Amino acid sequence: MDIIVCIKQIYDLGQIKVDTASKSPITEGVARKISDFDKNALEEAVRIREKHGGTVSALIGGTKEAAKEALAMGADEAVIYSADTDSLGTATILAEIIHKMKYDLILCGEASIDEFSFQIGPRLAQAIGIPVLTYARKIELNDGEIVVERGLENRYELTKAELPALVTVTKEINEPRIPTLLQILGASKKKITEISPPKPEAGIETLSITAIEMNRKEIILKDTEELAKVILSASK
Amino acid sequence: MDFSFTEEQELFRKSVREFCEKKIAPKANEIDEKGEIPREVVEDMASFGILGITIPQEYGGSGADFITAAIATEEIARADISMATAVYYLVEAGWGFLMDRYGSKKAKEELLPDVTKGKTFLGIASTEAAGGSDVAAISTTMTKEGEKLVVNGSKTFISGVREATKYGGGYVTVVKTSQELAHKGLSLCYLPVKDIPGITTNIFKQMGREGISTGAIIIKNVEIPSHYLIGDWNKGFYYAMEGFNCARPLVAAACIGAAGKALEAGIEYLKERQAFGSPLAKFEGIQFQVAEAYAKLESARLLVYKAAWMLDQMYTKKRFRHKEINKAVASAKLIAPTVAFDIIKDVLIWHGAYGYTKEAGLEKGLRGVASYIMGAEGAQNIMKLIIGRELLGKEFAPY
Repeated sequence: MDIIVCIKQIYDLGQIKVDTASKSPITEGVARKISDFDKNALEEAVRIREKHGGTVSALIGGTKEAAKEALAMGADEAVIYSADTDSLGTATILAEIIHKMKYDLILCGEASIDEFSFQIGPRLAQAIGIPVLTYARKIELNDGEIVVERGLENRYELTKAELPALVTVTKEINEPRIPTLLQILGASKKKITEISPPKPEAGIETLSITAIEMNRKEIILKDTEELAKVILSASK
Repeated sequence: MDFSFTEEQELFRKSVREFCEKKIAPKANEIDEKGEIPREVVEDMASFGILGITIPQEYGGSGADFITAAIATEEIARADISMATAVYYLVEAGWGFLMDRYGSKKAKEELLPDVTKGKTFLGIASTEAAGGSDVAAISTTMTKEGEKLVVNGSKTFISGVREATKYGGGYVTVVKTSQELAHKGLSLCYLPVKDIPGITTNIFKQMGREGISTGAIIIKNVEIPSHYLIGDWNKGFYYAMEGFNCARPLVAAACIGAAGKALEAGIEYLKERQAFGSPLAKFEGIQFQVAEAYAKLESARLLVYKAAWMLDQMYTKKRFRHKEINKAVASAKLIAPTVAFDIIKDVLIWHGAYGYTKEAGLEKGLRGVASYIMGAEGAQNIMKLIIGRELLGKEFAPY
């Protein structure tokens, strides 16, 4: 079973501060990390390989630091590409890279936790012409088929498709491993390839990002009776 | 000169931090309040490969160097600023390394895998009731009787006594093997303590780092196999000094880890807490304290990692003489606990009355770090004596 995992490196959102004047996020000096659901996808890929054999290739939209982390978590090789573009552009780049690779299964996180567009998996599957099964909370493989339990808003849905297929995973699917020292040291011997694919024309350009202002209402209540009234009216 | 960590070391720090935030930090208050590190924390540390981290892979360790071991120490102490978990970890990292270096193959095969699996505890038993600093005056004896070694005496202020007697384990123990010789009459042995005839223990109630026990071991005609001798007969003083040099940078790393975490918490608090119409952080008097704390912490941190780096250079590239290592290690151990104590104390005061509460989570750091000012792994005045001896020459040593 040869598996490709698509990984995006993002800013650690918990560390981002907002500039009080411009309301823009300050990213300078902020640590970066692998997007949470992409870690779940990588963990699932490694678990499938551990059970069924094969290889795990990580396609990293990010830096060498993310590639090393992915390798330490268990990927066999990493390919780093730059993708300063929108979701369609990124899916196009990924499709071109994947076109030259051997695979049975492609795993993605359901979305990146910085943009939450939920688009990469479906767009990529469309670009390469394979089935896509989204929001996977459980995956099983047998005889060239993949069975996926999808976690939807108010129900679980059991679906299956023939391989090759693309699956996007949710956080529920597993708990990603934290690489140990020996895994980190072992990763330094694995292959990292850096490529610079041509940037597709951007369909959507992000012009600015501005924090939503949350001003306190600063209402002063006279007594608990008044407080009770406010709570009651809010709960209606 | 390059002050940066390697990519692997940076990634390891990130990994350890994530591990500690998930597995240790949520239990930090429980560790301090119940006076015990939950077994699952020990098991998790073992599964994560950080127990006995310096012990080679063939015995289940990771064969880590001292910079890497110091990174883990710093991160563990950030997660549990009471220092208890860091102490459990660092004693094994420091003395496990020594055990591997000088212990017999048979003893290592028998003992070290259980240490790295978290099943047993490995500690150091040096201090005696008459004092800990004067190692040459140790009176616990070891004699050869046929194929066995027999140990008699007592050790006190020993870390992990309850853990080692409850779950299994033992101590790298400093013993007198030739009465007529002073420090040249000392040897090292491994002394098991769980269910061993002739071993009795006492546990002390301490002011801090209660999550790992401290106690006394009374040793009466305890027979141990001859392969528990560590290194050569009557060479124990030199091994012990080497072991202290391995453990002390880790002790200092734990101190800066706890202080670093406290300082971060302090800075956040100063930015949020308003007084007289502005955040506390805007007061110049407070800012000066923050700046001083940061500068002191960074100084101590540099000493810690320089000492760890020198140890690594010595063991892997045969660089630096013991004299130079002694000075670097003693400087780190002299400065880091004091700096850490002062920083945590200042942060506690910034928090006002809240800082004095258990809920603020700071006071346990102050109590824990204090143990390394009092003398654990070598008293502060002993660090000064070491530095003085190396700077001025042995002929000026007062003792």
